[in-house]
Amino acid sequence: MNDNIRKLAYFLIAIFAVLVVYLGYLNVVVGPKLSTDPHNRRLAAAEKGMTRGTIYDRQDVVLAEDRVVKGVKKRVYPFGPDTAHLLGFVSQRYGRTGVESTFDSYLLALDDAGKIQALVDRVLGRPRYGYDITLSVDSRLQKKAASLLAGRSGAVVALDPRTGAVLAVSSAPSFDPETVEDVVRTEKVNKNGKLAEVNITGYDVLKGQTDSAPLLNRASRGIYPPGSTFKVITGAALLESKPELLNSKKVCQGSITVDGFVLKDTGVHGNVDFNSAMAVSCNTYFAGQALDLGEENLKKAARSFGFSPIGYDAGGRIRGDYPVQGGEIPFNPGTMPSGGIGGAELASTAIGQGRTLVSPFQMALVAAGVANGGAIMRPYTLERVTGRNGRAIYKKPGPEVYANAVSAQTARLLADAMEQCVKRGTGAQASVPGVRVAGKTGSAQNPHGQTHAWFIGFAPAENPAIAVAVVVENAGGGGNVAAPVARELMRLYLKK
Amino acid sequence: MVIRESGRGNEIKLLVLAGLYLAAGAAAAYLWAGGDPRPYVIGASAPALAFLLAAFLFQALRFKADPFLLPVVAVLSYTSLIMLYRINQFYAVRQFIWVLAGLTLMFLTTRLFTNYRRLSDYKYIYGLMGAVALIIPIFFGTEEGGAKSWLNFGAFHLQPSEFVKILVVLFLASFMSENRMVLARDTVTVRGISLPGPRSWGPLLGMWGISLLLLVFQRDLGTALIYFGTFLAMVYVATARMLYIGVGLVLFMGGGTFSYFLFGHVRQRVDIWLLNPYNFIDLGDRAYNQAYQIVQSLFAIGAGGLTGTGLGGGYPLFIPAVHTDFIFSAITEEMGLLGGVGIIILYVFFIFRGFKIALESRDDFSKLLAAGLTALMGFQSFTIIAGVTKLLPLTGVTLPFISYGGSSLLANFIILGMLMNISHEANTHE
Repeated sequence: MNDNIRKLAYFLIAIFAVLVVYLGYLNVVVGPKLSTDPHNRRLAAAEKGMTRGTIYDRQDVVLAEDRVVKGVKKRVYPFGPDTAHLLGFVSQRYGRTGVESTFDSYLLALDDAGKIQALVDRVLGRPRYGYDITLSVDSRLQKKAASLLAGRSGAVVALDPRTGAVLAVSSAPSFDPETVEDVVRTEKVNKNGKLAEVNITGYDVLKGQTDSAPLLNRASRGIYPPGSTFKVITGAALLESKPELLNSKKVCQGSITVDGFVLKDTGVHGNVDFNSAMAVSCNTYFAGQALDLGEENLKKAARSFGFSPIGYDAGGRIRGDYPVQGGEIPFNPGTMPSGGIGGAELASTAIGQGRTLVSPFQMALVAAGVANGGAIMRPYTLERVTGRNGRAIYKKPGPEVYANAVSAQTARLLADAMEQCVKRGTGAQASVPGVRVAGKTGSAQNPHGQTHAWFIGFAPAENPAIAVAVVVENAGGGGNVAAPVARELMRLYLKK
Repeated sequence: MVIRESGRGNEIKLLVLAGLYLAAGAAAAYLWAGGDPRPYVIGASAPALAFLLAAFLFQALRFKADPFLLPVVAVLSYTSLIMLYRINQFYAVRQFIWVLAGLTLMFLTTRLFTNYRRLSDYKYIYGLMGAVALIIPIFFGTEEGGAKSWLNFGAFHLQPSEFVKILVVLFLASFMSENRMVLARDTVTVRGISLPGPRSWGPLLGMWGISLLLLVFQRDLGTALIYFGTFLAMVYVATARMLYIGVGLVLFMGGGTFSYFLFGHVRQRVDIWLLNPYNFIDLGDRAYNQAYQIVQSLFAIGAGGLTGTGLGGGYPLFIPAVHTDFIFSAITEEMGLLGGVGIIILYVFFIFRGFKIALESRDDFSKLLAAGLTALMGFQSFTIIAGVTKLLPLTGVTLPFISYGGSSLLANFIILGMLMNISHEANTHE
């Protein structure tokens, strides 16, 4: 019988061992994620008794800080709506969004060292402070982007292609993050037969504006057809499999017919080679070449830029959830149908008009990848975290490759073609005097009216320091509307 | 300080250390909550002195029980008092009284039932008593936390199933030690496969019935699980026949599946368990509200990190029922992973000593009793810790010696007394 008792004892001790390992996993690995879950009431509770960390931009300009206004602690955003989508807001009632939510554990000093410090401070009755964080963002660009988009709907993303540092994330229309909890008016609502007064807050008003959707961060979570900016990816697919294309020409007669479907071009471009097709944005050229290239090669190129294949059901709706790429700024990757798409759709996909959808963030990564010799660096916003006494808590480690989109050779050829586009093509309005700018325009057709104006590009072409993606909704052609926005941002950033 | 395994003196030395732990806890509570220092002094010194007194009495009476069980239980009880004081002083005061009462009850158990073997003669009497005690709440019980297993006596509530578990183990130990040979050999061969014979089916089905009774009528999933687990453990110790275990598990799975489809509360618990474990961000509002309790528990555990927030630094009151079922989450939040693992190690140590007593006993009844009571304690602490950490579906049982609650505490102190009796018996005849 003793043998049986021993085995039973081993069994019990074994299940407790499993419990210890699991608890360790829960506490150490999952714990930090649980700590910043917006459902977690600890965040709000911790905040009450402490000063939340300050958020700085790359030049140490304050983007957000706790200030005492008339005896009440308040989160102040000096740039107001200009940084609203990037920074998000902190609200007891409406949760936590943006950078404020992503870096909650730093801003509230929730790490182990912070917990010990909190204990000491509490015992000694000292005030408590969260850690300050410094972002890679440039507040001048934020401000400029917001003023350039003013009065329109659209988005801007700017990155440093060499490191993946996010320089600007702007979305319009925007909102004032300081007033989301303010009561705007009261309404009488019939509740179970009784008339009750309900406070309508700033948030309620914003939430109600479903058409303009000011709370939506269009830069990372807005999805649009890419229009001709997608030709950069089509171009990448062509050059990767047939570099000899560069010197051969094709005749453009103003339209191309695929399986009985007529694809109209913007004009009759005559004899065009790769570079001039990119410069004048010739649909005939890219659609025709893509048909020769085949569906698989085009999809492969899109995937290597970070696009996700997605399925559609019979009704044309997306199967499952729309994909989201996690990270410091979660964004929607570009998507394309996972199944076979056939000739007609292949042709329109090649010029950015198929079912393919992209977010401005994704297109900024495309531009950054071409700029950086084919390697897209992992985008990030957090440069460093500093404790109250100046102690360094976190420092961004060296840049990391997010995706190897194309070979260095292909990237160089694409960059040349994109430079031609700005020098003598549709992107002319993006040119900055004294700087070699590369880019691609797009005018994406959509069911809501005028085309969405797109521009993606980077500068200086010989040693890129900034890559941008601009979209302005239903505003017309990319060359006239989006390119000037990109120009102003690149000019401001490179002026230094 | 030298600790030799054989010496009874260890008990007192270890209890002094445990007393220092309680003193540190009381000091921390005083620093944190402040106020009149006298209640802290009394609250800390009375239990510490009571445990020491018990040890001195054992010494004086030449009681030769295992010297490590009492200190382990002391640390668990002290943790309970400290945490309950931090959570809600009202519970701490009541628990303080229950600890002293429990200690007295343990001492009485060691005095009155020193010759515990006599108990095996009356097995059918307390078998019946147990059954009646379990059935009463079905008709006269009140519901607390979804389980209808409580009797309301005005000033206090009694949970009979906490005491019945001791009777069940006693009954099974008596029955199995008497019928062990029959159980081990009774076999019917069907097409070349040996199956337990009809005489073995009786108790097996009986026990399964009792578990289901608990499950169905009292809706007490956790206790049913523990009863049945303990039963299977004892069957294994008595017969070493995996076949019984296999059949038992199949029966239990059957019962479990059955109740999943039949009872809303069981289904809800399991569904919550199956939820996307750690990504509450993506949880819809409805799912979030349903899983509220376990989500809060996980938030608390996650907030603890390695070292915890320190006593009074966390927010354990965000968890509903934190003083009973979820006290482990509160401990982990404020004392960290280290504190949580410390508590688990204490239970493992208790189990280790319990099985050691079973090994050292010289008759079947004692072995079965000690192994059964130890397994009971082990399964109960495992079930609730695994439940609040979402390793298993949550079932509402108490964490032995730590959760607030008189019934549970008194019953556990009786178990402690029984184990010490068995240990004394084994050591006396060495």
